Amino acid sequence: MQNALLIGLSRQMTLERQMDVIANNVANANTNGFKADHSLFEEYLNSNAREDNFVGSDRRVSYVQDRGTFRDVGQGPMEETKNPLDVAISGNAFFAVQANGAERYTRDGKFTLSSTGQLVTSDGNLVLGTGGPITFQPTDHDINIAPDGTITVLEGTAKTDSIRGKIRMVSFDDPAKLSKLGANLYSAGSATQQADTKSTAQQGYIEKSNVNAVGEMSRMVEVMRSYTAIANLLQQQSDLHKSAIEKLADVPA
Amino acid sequence: MQALHTAATGMAAQELNVQVISNNIANLRTTGFKKQTAAFQDLIYEHVRRVGAQASDQGTIVPVGVDIGGGVKTVGTPRSMTQGTLSQTGNDLDLAVSGEGFFKILMPDGTYQYTRDGTFQMDNQGRVVTAQGNPVQPTITIPNNASGLAVNEQGQVSVTLPGSSTSTVLGQIGLTRFINKAGLQPVGSNQFTETPSSGPPQDGTANSEGYGKITQGSLEQANVDVVSEMSDLIAAQRAYEMNAKVISAADQMMQSTTALFR
Repeated sequence: MQNALLIGLSRQMTLERQMDVIANNVANANTNGFKADHSLFEEYLNSNAREDNFVGSDRRVSYVQDRGTFRDVGQGPMEETKNPLDVAISGNAFFAVQANGAERYTRDGKFTLSSTGQLVTSDGNLVLGTGGPITFQPTDHDINIAPDGTITVLEGTAKTDSIRGKIRMVSFDDPAKLSKLGANLYSAGSATQQADTKSTAQQGYIEKSNVNAVGEMSRMVEVMRSYTAIANLLQQQSDLHKSAIEKLADVPA
Repeated sequence: MQALHTAATGMAAQELNVQVISNNIANLRTTGFKKQTAAFQDLIYEHVRRVGAQASDQGTIVPVGVDIGGGVKTVGTPRSMTQGTLSQTGNDLDLAVSGEGFFKILMPDGTYQYTRDGTFQMDNQGRVVTAQGNPVQPTITIPNNASGLAVNEQGQVSVTLPGSSTSTVLGQIGLTRFINKAGLQPVGSNQFTETPSSGPPQDGTANSEGYGKITQGSLEQANVDVVSEMSDLIAAQRAYEMNAKVISAADQMMQSTTALFR
């Protein structure tokens, strides 16, 4: 008899979590390189009753549970900043960075230089090149980043380019396996990486968040309405119980 | 409900974004001003169902987990140090730098500050000073009977003294570079100070080794692009509204639950 309440509750709990996911997408609508998350649901079948001497066969009750959040790895829009150290990736690759001693990945290409001339992220994490961190000399100027990630500069009075390194861009067999760590970083987890040759680096651009505002808003309304609908359903179910109890207990005098 | 807190971090971030943009717009006509952009990062994730966890006795593992993010934080307001356009003023002591480098200014307390604002004047002792009256380094004193003040691309200041047909070099205005000029700390009045992240100042000569050249009679305008600021402002405002919508939706959801079984 309580099944309807429990099923409703299982749905409300998943809706609440879906709302949290939407809220996080919306909050990160202006986060560089952010990839939106979406919720997945699946039916969860309860086992049959153990007692089998009923007249009719026992029916299965299906609940809902959130199976996972999948990531929309689609390209975010590019914004021109004209900053020579802003780099956006066009393609599926990620930048490799060193954070807390481990290798992490990011799509946020808002880079700066550290006081020692190394290329770092906004958090101060080292950006990794194909041969380790990329270091600039104090007299370097006119930094140029080629589409393949090669960084060249003019050093001092020199008229020819000196190579300072090549930004390492890596891609993954299954980017969905990357796990989000916050601070725009991903850890590889079980995903296997390889050097990416198809993606291109765009100097002077920043990849914005790929959150689709209209989609998020309509999903939000949908979540809110289903949640309220289930609340109504629970209310009706409760009223039904109430009237049943009242009617059955109503002993005529 | 987590969504309420998440949306609140979003509103706070967009509020800061609007503050940064409005400061850029307010300084649209500030000589040597460098625009800032707010940079955001996502917060850590709560792993409701961890990816890679075992899903059954047969050893199947969860292919994708349920990760719920906690919102957004501001990581910094990096300054875009791109060149501003030069506008001609015709004033002899208006100097602009095209390329790298800052003018070095001696403050009354003996410390140095750095600026791209080359609106210089002469004080009562004939020294070349900023609009606040602090001398440009190295200090250059112009004799009061001098005429024909000229500053060349290297920063050499020369004048013609009475009774002389050739010009005399009085000194040379230097430029200072930083390895990470975006790491300089703004102190107002168009001036910056060095920080551990900017690296130590490297004094040098204008028009050499990438120091940038000095142009007399011009000023560097702010590098603020109004159109892109306005579109960023609209984007920030809309993002703020969306976060507010999330809060009201989460509120309605909570309301429908609290209204149950009354």
